[in-house]
Amino acid sequence: MPSVSSSHKTNEVAVSVRGLGLTYTTAIDRRPTLKARVKSLGRGGKQTRVIRALDEVNLDVEYGQVLGIIGTNGAGKSSLMRVISGILPPTQGRIEVYGSVSTLLALGVGFNPSMSGRDNVYLGGLAAGMSRDEIDNHFEEIAEFSELGEAIDAPMRTYSSGMYARLAFSVSATVRPDILIVDEALSTGDARFKEKSLNRIKELRSDDRALILVSHAMATLEEVCNDVAWLHKGKLVQRGDPKTVITAYREFLQVGKSAAIDEDV
Amino acid sequence: MSTPTQVYEPFRAGLPPLRKYWKSLWSRRTFISEYSRSELREQHFDSVFGQLWLVLNPLLLSAVYFLLIVIISGSSDSTRYAHLTATLFLFYLVANSLTGGVKSITAGQRLILNTAFPRIMLPVSAVVIAIFKFLPTLAVFLAIRTVLGLPFAWEMFWAIPVLLITMLLALGLAVTISCINVYFRDIASFLPYMTRTLLYLSPILYEASDLKPELRTLELFNPLFPILDSWSRALVHGQAPLTSHLLISLGWAVGIFLIGTYFFLSREREFAVRL
Repeated sequence: MPSVSSSHKTNEVAVSVRGLGLTYTTAIDRRPTLKARVKSLGRGGKQTRVIRALDEVNLDVEYGQVLGIIGTNGAGKSSLMRVISGILPPTQGRIEVYGSVSTLLALGVGFNPSMSGRDNVYLGGLAAGMSRDEIDNHFEEIAEFSELGEAIDAPMRTYSSGMYARLAFSVSATVRPDILIVDEALSTGDARFKEKSLNRIKELRSDDRALILVSHAMATLEEVCNDVAWLHKGKLVQRGDPKTVITAYREFLQVGKSAAIDEDV
Repeated sequence: MSTPTQVYEPFRAGLPPLRKYWKSLWSRRTFISEYSRSELREQHFDSVFGQLWLVLNPLLLSAVYFLLIVIISGSSDSTRYAHLTATLFLFYLVANSLTGGVKSITAGQRLILNTAFPRIMLPVSAVVIAIFKFLPTLAVFLAIRTVLGLPFAWEMFWAIPVLLITMLLALGLAVTISCINVYFRDIASFLPYMTRTLLYLSPILYEASDLKPELRTLELFNPLFPILDSWSRALVHGQAPLTSHLLISLGWAVGIFLIGTYFFLSREREFAVRL
């Protein structure tokens, strides 16, 4: 397996988040005209609005844990993932990461649509931090998992969106980091491929790995995770046993256990 | 408990640990070359001539400028043409680094927002692309030079240090301008005019020695002036370049590279928020 670093024991801390705060500053020029710019120059600076994406979040993730993150749109889930993976700097607080992190925040990062699927396996794999040898060794596995057949040598812009997503998921699922962060990427392809990728995530669960999954698919999270954290408007509302937290979240949403929230991804 | 592999704290403008940064950049060298190759291939993907454009472009370019010289000065000789092609191709190494570099950060938004990697990789690969484009033109120039019957000399090897200095300068410029573009997007629109001005201020359409004495101060403000003059002396005339020119251009290259890289490295953690 690629990227296996020193082994980590269960219950050792993988990620420690302390007092994390994150604010974005956005300009609120409704109509960015030159006149408005000139006027604001005189006043000194543009009018801005500060958005608090994360507020005093404390969160520990241990090895062996599969943590699901839930919350409504704009709750700060993706921001939290980006801060943990080192993409966004925090505004306050401190994050410590013990181990190699791989992120699956969006599918097909680093892909170039003009190139063939084969070339993109290399591009995407290298972007995800694999070495060329590792990709060579896993190429057959990736190609097979994506079920693309001969289309692997066709340019990716000729792919359907399902084919594109399948190949992207297959590449990402080959990386074997200590800590894997997945943001709503389980919803690729048709029902059969969804099942397949869910099984792949389950395979990745192990005692010496920490998984953090962001998803709106409650049924999936209940099935896969052994811990769930609920974020709302940048604050950590509740954390603990998946059933309890998800039930509380459902009550909060007042939607009950409807089919839409279970199946939606 | 073991020490953390990574610690993330609030952003302060300052240099990251350089050894760690370099190690993580070096471990991504295959990605840099693969990324650059795919970008390069994409640029001529749909055209009939495909990768042949890498040779066709410089040939057509030198033909057009040669036409200009012949019309303006009325006549021209083979040395003149050799000088034009040699310097023009090297100029385009720098110009392509700038045009590729300026949008490298802003266009790499998807990569930047979704993966953690040393951001300097993006302007570096813009320079790698420019070098990939430059190498065939060097072969074209050597062919032109042979056809024109210019004598070969050992002094031509002076071109190697000159080329290395140029690459360092191109890298410094690409890193600087890519960083500026994050904060001041208008620079991308100014760039074509800046490179065009630089082209006319540099000894390409004329030779450095043709310049009127009162215009010689131009040399002082244009880092490409000593570089292109040394390049032409070595490759076209088979002479050793002036030591002063070599030193001045090395000073420019190192200076721009250090300032640009410092500026970039101390700011790069903030890029994801600025995109």
